[in-house]
Amino acid sequence: MIRNYIKIALRNLWKDRTFTFLNVVGLSAAFCAAFLLSMFSLFELSFDKFHKNIGSIYEIYTSSETSKGTEFSDANPIPFAEAFKTEVPGVEKITRYAKGGPLVSYGDKTLKLDLAWVDPDFFDIFSFPILKGTAKNPLANQLSIAITSKAAQKIFGKEEAIGQTVTILRDGAEMPLTVTAVLEDLPAASSIGFDAVLNFKDLPASFYADNIDRWDAHNHPIYMQLAAGISPEKFEKSTAAFSNLHFAEQIATTERDGAKPDKNGNYRQIRLLPFEDTSFTNLNNGPKVSKTLEYLILGIAFLILFIASVNFINMSIAKGSQRLREIGMRKTLGAGKRQLFFQFWGESILVFSISVIFGGLLAFLLLDKFQTLFETKASFTLIATPLVIFSLLLSLMVITLIAGGYPALLMSKLGTLQALKGKLENTGSNKVRDVLMVVQFTIAILLISGTLVLWSQLDYMRTKDLGFNKEQVITFPINTKKDRKQVLQLLRNSLEGEPGIVSVTAADNNLGLGKDGRTSITVMGFDYKGREVKTNLLTVDYDYPETLDIPMLKGRAFNKQYATDSLSIVINEAMAKEFGEKDPLSVRFILNDSVQYSVIGVVKDYNFQGLNKSIEPISFFMNPNTPLYYAYIKVAPTNLSQSYDRVKQAWNTIEPNTEFLGSFLDENIDRTLNDERKMTTMISSGSILAIILSCIGLFAISLLVVNQRRKEIGIRKVVGASTSTITILLSKDFLKLVGIAFLIAAPLSWYLTSQWLQSYAYRIDLSVWIFLAAGGIAFVIALATISVRTIQAALKNPVESLKTE
Amino acid sequence: MLLELNNIYKWVTQGGNRIFLLKDINLQVEEGEFISIMGPSGSGKSTLLNVIGMLDNFQEGEYNFLDEPVHSIKEKNRSKLYKEYIGFVFQAYHLIDELTVYENIETPLLYKNVKSAERKALVADMLDRFNIVGKKDLFPSQLSGGQQQLVGIARALIAKPKLILADEPTGNLNSKQSEEIMQLFKELNSEGVTIIQATHSETNAAYGSRTLHLLDGSRNHK
Repeated sequence: MIRNYIKIALRNLWKDRTFTFLNVVGLSAAFCAAFLLSMFSLFELSFDKFHKNIGSIYEIYTSSETSKGTEFSDANPIPFAEAFKTEVPGVEKITRYAKGGPLVSYGDKTLKLDLAWVDPDFFDIFSFPILKGTAKNPLANQLSIAITSKAAQKIFGKEEAIGQTVTILRDGAEMPLTVTAVLEDLPAASSIGFDAVLNFKDLPASFYADNIDRWDAHNHPIYMQLAAGISPEKFEKSTAAFSNLHFAEQIATTERDGAKPDKNGNYRQIRLLPFEDTSFTNLNNGPKVSKTLEYLILGIAFLILFIASVNFINMSIAKGSQRLREIGMRKTLGAGKRQLFFQFWGESILVFSISVIFGGLLAFLLLDKFQTLFETKASFTLIATPLVIFSLLLSLMVITLIAGGYPALLMSKLGTLQALKGKLENTGSNKVRDVLMVVQFTIAILLISGTLVLWSQLDYMRTKDLGFNKEQVITFPINTKKDRKQVLQLLRNSLEGEPGIVSVTAADNNLGLGKDGRTSITVMGFDYKGREVKTNLLTVDYDYPETLDIPMLKGRAFNKQYATDSLSIVINEAMAKEFGEKDPLSVRFILNDSVQYSVIGVVKDYNFQGLNKSIEPISFFMNPNTPLYYAYIKVAPTNLSQSYDRVKQAWNTIEPNTEFLGSFLDENIDRTLNDERKMTTMISSGSILAIILSCIGLFAISLLVVNQRRKEIGIRKVVGASTSTITILLSKDFLKLVGIAFLIAAPLSWYLTSQWLQSYAYRIDLSVWIFLAAGGIAFVIALATISVRTIQAALKNPVESLKTE
Repeated sequence: MLLELNNIYKWVTQGGNRIFLLKDINLQVEEGEFISIMGPSGSGKSTLLNVIGMLDNFQEGEYNFLDEPVHSIKEKNRSKLYKEYIGFVFQAYHLIDELTVYENIETPLLYKNVKSAERKALVADMLDRFNIVGKKDLFPSQLSGGQQQLVGIARALIAKPKLILADEPTGNLNSKQSEEIMQLFKELNSEGVTIIQATHSETNAAYGSRTLHLLDGSRNHK
C-alpha cells in the first residue's frame, strides 16, 4: 500500500513538474531562511545560559528617585561589594567587575589584551572552566593573572604558560603578574568577554586605591549569587537599611532637591537584574528586558515559512481540482477517507522532506556568508541542544501536518459522485485561497514598508548633521606605555604644519565607536545654588571645539594664553539651560569642597551620544591629570586617504609596537548604527524573500486559473473581446486581493513602525508615501507576475482553446 | 433476491419546484440476472445506477441489498457493502492516469487490504483472462478505448463482486469493440455475475435477460 502511495506520489509530482519545482524552490528557500534566522535568534537568546548557576546570578543595580524622575545605574562604589556581603543576609557570592585594555608585555612582546578585574568569587559564580594551573580560585592572591587558552597561545606560543610572568603598566610602573591558570576559551554566547582576568585589587590607584573608602564614586558593576531559597523581591526589600546607612548623604541631597520617594518610601533602592537578562537590557532606558530584535527575527522566519506553506496549500487545492476524477474513482473502488487522506498527505510529506533537506543544505552552505554579513558567531552546533532539535522536528511535523494535511483533508472529504463528475463546489476553497493570499500579501507589504522605514531612519541617522565635522576628523586611541601627554606632544610636533593636517587635539573619550570598540560615559553631579545639577564630563585638550567644528556661541574655548584654564569649563547649550542663568558666562561653582570653577564658553549643542537620546548637558574640562585616551586629528577635505596615511605613519614612528586604530568619525558613527544596520539587512532580506515567495504562489495560481478558464477566454475572444480586456479581466481578481492586503497592512505597519521610531529622539517623520510605495511595489510585482500568464492566454488563438473541450 | 427497490423517489428542488429524477421506482433483481436499462438522455438511467451502486442518495423509498436496508444503514456500512459486492464500469472508463494497467486493476484489492501475494495471483489471473498480460506496464493513455474499457471491466471484476453496474459501457467505443465488450458481459453473466447496464442501444439491450424502460424518472410500462 505504502509503496503504491509513494509510486503514485512520485509520478504525480513528476507529471506536474512546474508546480513541484515551484513548491520545492519556494519551500527550500523558506526553510533555508527560517533555519538561518531562527538559528540567529536562538543563539542570541541563548546568551549566558551556559553558566551553571544562571538562575541565581544577578547584576546589582540601583534605582534612584531624583527631581527629574527615576534613574537607573549599575555603577557601584568600591567598598560596596564587601559591605553588602557582610551586612545583607542572602548574598552567597559576590564579585566586582571592571574592564580595561592596558598593554601587556612578555619579554619583548607587547600585546593589546582585553582585561577584566574581578574578585576571587568570580570563578565560583560564573562557569569559566580552568584548563590548567590552579584549579580553585586562581586569583586568590594579588598579582596573579588567569588567561584564556587563545590569549596564552598569542603570548607564549607553544611555551608552557603557567608560572610565567607578564607585566602591565600601572600607575607609572611595570607591574609583574604571574600566570596561575589557563582558562577554556569563552563560549561564543557569553556576554562577559575578556582575554585575561586579574585580581580586582590590582586596578590602578585612580580606580581602586583612591576610592577604597568612598561611597560617592561609582565606577564598576557588581555580580552576585543569591542564596538558595530567597526570592529576589524579598531580598531587594531587605536592602533598604543598607542603602539608608551608606548612601545617607546622596539621599539627603535628592530629598532636598524635591525628589519624591518611591511607593515604599525609599529614595534609593538596590535591585537585582537576573544575569541572563543583562544582554537584553540597557539600564539607560530603565530595567526593561528587550528581546524585540530576537523575537522579531524569529517572527520573520515564521512568516516566511507561513508564506511558503500557503503557496503549497493553495497550489495543492488548485491542483486537487484536476485530480477530482482520480479521487472519485478511488472512492468508487472502495477507498476510505482515511486512505485518501494519507495518500495525499504522503505526497505533501514527500515535497516537504525534499524541501527541508534542500533548505538545510542551502543553509549550511550559506552559513559562512550569513555569519559575516550579520557579524554573528551563531552556528548550528552552538544551538543544537536536544530541546532545540526536538522542537525543530516537532515544528517541521506540525507544518507538514497543517500545510500538507489541509488540502489532503479537503480532497478526501469530497463527495464521490461530485468528484467523479469533475465538479467542485468552487466557492468554499476559493475563499480560503483568497484569504490566504491576502494574508500573504499583507505580510509582504508589512515587511516591505518596514524595510523602507528602517532604511530611511538609518539613512537619516547616518547623514544627519550631528553638530560636528565627522567627515574630516580622524580619531584613534592613544595605546601606549609611555606618558600619553608626551606622545600627544610628539604627535603634534610631527603633524602640525604637515600638508593636509589642519589641527590636532585629544580627549578622554571617543565620538561614536572607534576600531577599539570602546566607549565610556562619565557623569558628575554637583551642587549649584542649593540644588544638584548633573552633567556629562569630557576632558579635552586645546583646540577641541575648533578641531571638531563645533561652533562657539558665547565666550571662548580653552586657550594657551590663559594660565587659569585648568579651572575653567566650556559647556554646551543644554548645560547652560541646566544652570538656568541669563548669562552662562557668569556661572561659578565649587567642586571637591574647595576648588572653584568658572564657565568661559558655551558651544552649540552637538550629538555626542547616539541619536536615540536627546542632547544631554556636557562640560569640557582641561584637567591636566586626567589621561587623554583619544587623539583627534582634523585633515583637509581633499586627499583624505593620503592624510590618513600620514597620520598613521606619524603614529607608527612614535609608537611602533602598537597598531594604529584610526578611523574617520563618520565611520565611528556608522559603527554605532551596527544594530540598526543588522536589523535593516535582516528585515530587507526577509521582505525580499517574502515578496518572491508570494509571487511564486501568485504565479502558480494564475497559471491554474488561466487553465481553468481557458474555454471562457476562447468564447470571449470569439464574441469579440480584445487582448487587453481579457488581460484586465484575468488580472483584476488577483490585484483586488493585493489591494485588500494593502488596506490591512498599511495601518498595521504605520502603527508598528511608529512604535519602533519612538525609541529614537531623532527620527524621520512617517509619510504616507512610504506606505504607498510599499503597496505600489507589491502591486507592480504582482501585476508583472500574473501578466506573464494572462497575456499569453489572452493572445492565444481562441480556436485552439475551444478545441480542447 | 439480490436487491429490491421499493417506491424510490429522488428529486432536486429548483426555484421552489421539485424536479423528480426518480419517481416511484420499484425493481427486484435476482442473482444471475442481466438487466438493461433503456431510455432517452435525462431519463434517469445513470441516477438509478448510482442509487443502486450506493454512490447517490434518494429521498424516499426503501432499498434492500442482500436483505440489508441500505436506506437506513450508516455511510460506513454502506461503503463496506458496495466495496464487497459491487463493481463499476463507466462510459469514460475512469482509469487512473498515473497508474499502469496492472496497478489500476490492483487498486480495489489494496483498499480491501488483500495481502501482497494474493494480490499478485489475482491480478495475474485477470490479466491472463483478458489477454492483456503484454500491456500490464502501459499507462491508460497508451491504450485504445476498447482496451481501456477492458481494463475497466477487469478492475471491476477483480474484487469478485456479485453485481456489476455498467453505465453506457460501450458509449465511447466503435461497433466492433462494443460487440466484444457485450460478449464479455454475456460470458460473465453466464458465470453467475449479476449485471445491470444502462444503454442507448437496442442491440446492446438485447444482450440482457430483461429490459427496463425509463422516461423522466419513471418506469415506462407501455
